[in-house]
Amino acid sequence: MTSTSSEVSTAGGRARGAPPPATRRSWAVFGLLPFLAFLTLFLVIPAISVFQEALHNRDGSFGWSAMTAAFSGQNRDAFWFSVRFSAFAALVGVVFGALLAYAAATATRPRWLRSLVASFSGVAANMGGIVLAFAFIALIGPQGIATKAIKFAGWDLYSGSWKLGSISGLTMVYSYFNIPLMVLITLPAIDGLKASWREACTNLGGTAFTYWRRVGLPVLAPSLLGGFMLLFANSFSAYATAKILTDNTQIVSLRLAFYLGGDINTGEDSIGFALAGWMILITALAMVVYWLLRKKAERWQQ
Amino acid sequence: MAAVNPSRRGARIVPHMVLFAALLFFVAPLVAIARFGFQNVPTVLLGWSTLFKKWTIDGLTGAFESPDFWPSFRLSLQLAVGTALGTIGLLLPTAVWVHLKLPKARGVVEFLTVLPYMVPGIALVAGIKVIQPHIRWFLNSPFSLVPFYMVLALPFTYRSIDAGLRSIDLRTLVDASRSLGAGWGVTLRRVLMPNLRASIVSATFLTVAVVLGEFTIASILLKRTLPVFQSTYRSESPRGAYALSVLFLLGTTAVFAVLSLLTRRRGSSPTSTASTTSAPDPAPVASTVAQHEGPA
Repeated sequence: MTSTSSEVSTAGGRARGAPPPATRRSWAVFGLLPFLAFLTLFLVIPAISVFQEALHNRDGSFGWSAMTAAFSGQNRDAFWFSVRFSAFAALVGVVFGALLAYAAATATRPRWLRSLVASFSGVAANMGGIVLAFAFIALIGPQGIATKAIKFAGWDLYSGSWKLGSISGLTMVYSYFNIPLMVLITLPAIDGLKASWREACTNLGGTAFTYWRRVGLPVLAPSLLGGFMLLFANSFSAYATAKILTDNTQIVSLRLAFYLGGDINTGEDSIGFALAGWMILITALAMVVYWLLRKKAERWQQ
Repeated sequence: MAAVNPSRRGARIVPHMVLFAALLFFVAPLVAIARFGFQNVPTVLLGWSTLFKKWTIDGLTGAFESPDFWPSFRLSLQLAVGTALGTIGLLLPTAVWVHLKLPKARGVVEFLTVLPYMVPGIALVAGIKVIQPHIRWFLNSPFSLVPFYMVLALPFTYRSIDAGLRSIDLRTLVDASRSLGAGWGVTLRRVLMPNLRASIVSATFLTVAVVLGEFTIASILLKRTLPVFQSTYRSESPRGAYALSVLFLLGTTAVFAVLSLLTRRRGSSPTSTASTTSAPDPAPVASTVAQHEGPA
């Protein structure tokens, strides 16, 4: 079907001096070559070389020893910590992001509110790294103004072992980009909820609770779950923000950077690459699930 | 959905609380960093009596006078321009080609463009480290970061261009242009690019934002970009580094606002088909301006 339609249109559009357009689909694929070559060179080859290095034993033969070593002892503790804080950060992001999106989408009074929330989310969702870490250190670091205000109210945040690099600290900082990202995902999904569905539910005798349990949440579920996966991958792979905030080597990305920074060539470095390999596997898994769920969610957003 | 029964006005209290809490959470860190950057009063001494004292921009001027600032700033700008040009140059023809010739492959290409999400930045650097011995000649130049930054920005930029192409009648435009004798180059430059102005602008903005904020790859590959300067300058002068960050934030926001205003005004002019480019993006993954262009 595609080949015929493109034949028809290109036959009509063929002009003097223009190169003969590709009329067969088999030829058309070659148009993607620059793009595919680019992706291969700068993304696929680096990613595959990570595994190539990681799948070496100490003596240089092919094997899994580095991959297993990267998942045992201290490294396993680091993965466990990172997975836990990423999941927690994602959960917080999903809940508050969805609530904020719902509040913005249903607010009627200031008409600019919704577009303000949407555009701010666009900016904040991309605001990771140095600036964000600086802002939170200024707010709630040991010398932060919120720390001082809270202390004034009688609670010394830093009297115990709490720090910005703990699960709750990282969750708070990462929420600054996770919540807006969730808003961006959820807003179109909430717009997809048709008013007529709610009316239908009410006419059939349903309450608000029935509506959310039987209609609203099931329709939103792929978006919410997909959002969780995206935020998880987002938190798990973040490096710059964490690097500035803390020296907590329980964060896998910081641990990996430690391996990469050293010039040690003791056979230990294949463990570093194995860490990178596991990071890719975990992030890729989360993103594939996100992708599948997003396809499901888009059905209601036409 | 938006219709709220007046009798349920009490139920609006929860959304209002959510909005208020969000306002507090998102504004407080900005206030904190602005105070640190522009007020020369240690937090210990901060109180009602010192609240309005010693506000200064000498942190900022100090940062400007640092010998490392201008080179890093220039490098980041050059990287931003290079990445933006490379992105448009590669993605626009690819996306047009996919829409015209390979509509069935659209899903596959879209999937390929989100691949960068699957490789964390720090893991990508690990891979670059592996191949470094073979491409040292390439990586020695700071501009070797450009293709990697194009990869990082790819998910946003392709999405934004794709959404733009979906909203115009691409085949008709191309056929009309080609039947009037224009070649592919002229068609791309003089017919498609003006029609896709909004999405090209948003893709460019996203690219620039990604490049100016990227720290991971630059710092591990020891390239002295602006974010790397900011992080090292903090140990020398925290106030200067914070002030610089505030300036950076303000600059990004201003550019964002100007660009979205520009594209909006152009978009609403009756002679331009660009007004259709504000068609809602089906499920934006952090596609900044595309969102902003949405049904506002």
